[in-house]
Amino acid sequence: MAYSDKVIDHYNNPRNVGQLDKSSESVGTGLVGAPECGDVMRLQIRVNPETQVIEEAKFKTFGCGSAIASSSLATEWVKGKTVSEAMEIKNTDIVKELSLPPVKIHCSVLAEDAIRAAIGDWKKKNAVGEAAAVAAN
Amino acid sequence: MQSHVQNSTASDGEQTYFDMFSLPRKLTIDTAALERGFYKLSRQLHPDLYARKSAAEQAWSLRQSSLLNDAYRTLKDPVARTAYLLKLEGMRMEDENTENRDPRAKQNRVPADLLEEVFELNMQLEEMRANLKMGEDDPALRGDLERAQVQFKAMLTSLDEDLRRAWAAWDAAMDASDDAAKNEQKDAMVAMLDRRSYLRNLLREVDGVLTWQGAVGEKANI
Repeated sequence: MAYSDKVIDHYNNPRNVGQLDKSSESVGTGLVGAPECGDVMRLQIRVNPETQVIEEAKFKTFGCGSAIASSSLATEWVKGKTVSEAMEIKNTDIVKELSLPPVKIHCSVLAEDAIRAAIGDWKKKNAVGEAAAVAAN
Repeated sequence: MQSHVQNSTASDGEQTYFDMFSLPRKLTIDTAALERGFYKLSRQLHPDLYARKSAAEQAWSLRQSSLLNDAYRTLKDPVARTAYLLKLEGMRMEDENTENRDPRAKQNRVPADLLEEVFELNMQLEEMRANLKMGEDDPALRGDLERAQVQFKAMLTSLDEDLRRAWAAWDAAMDASDDAAKNEQKDAMVAMLDRRSYLRNLLREVDGVLTWQGAVGEKANI
């Protein structure tokens, strides 16, 4: 099975690889994994507390090319979005963008889970419930 | 009889591997009986017996033989047997190559501390690989990995002991028709098999790096 050009591009030139300060108030960290293939994915976001815009996103993934490409794309997509906009990103969007074959769909699911986990972590740190998020608007 | 089987080729859902060998859905099985059953059924399906039969019947015997082989291999291996039983019992045991999977299935199934551990070890492995590529061998890093190797082997051993206890508990729950106990064991076994997959993957990579000969590629499985 061949990887799509977009997967190969993200694999060879992954965007936003790295790490943000996990202990920072404005940083949310999501760590997710798929035991069957041994993949682990860490995705981090830095959120502007005033605007709730994700200003920075970093990832580090141990896994196959599709897992790396999915998380690389996820960091590109969340940057510049508000937290609630980022929650709208679906794994199926990643599948479409990267032309992932059915056997690699779980990589996109992992990336979506990572986004949600990172946002969840940030919300927990900042005590942002749904009500508080609405009040802030 | 045979035409009936032919009509249901696509779905082998009606007869489980356990049914094929007339075994109960238990995790401690009589391996001698399994083997006897396998040889007996294999003889009955031997292609020579079908040499003069119609093409359809020959094809049927071939399909049955391959099904029988799958069943035997699965039940013979205790871990594969466990994964198969959990799948039969409606638990989601995804493997990477299953196409018709429900992508939402296993969200948040992996415990956070295991993920942290796996992530950290992968970081060390990566560093060690990078060093080795540069022709350096950092003794401190190598020491860390060797300790990790010992630790992960011990974890695997103790996990397998837990698994054996879970098999006994499952079988007892089956005998007692205790659904609550069965469900408890099912959840526990899914978690154990997940952990086992991670540990085995990690161990394989640690072994690979520690026995590095310069020819081992980076992890980039297609």
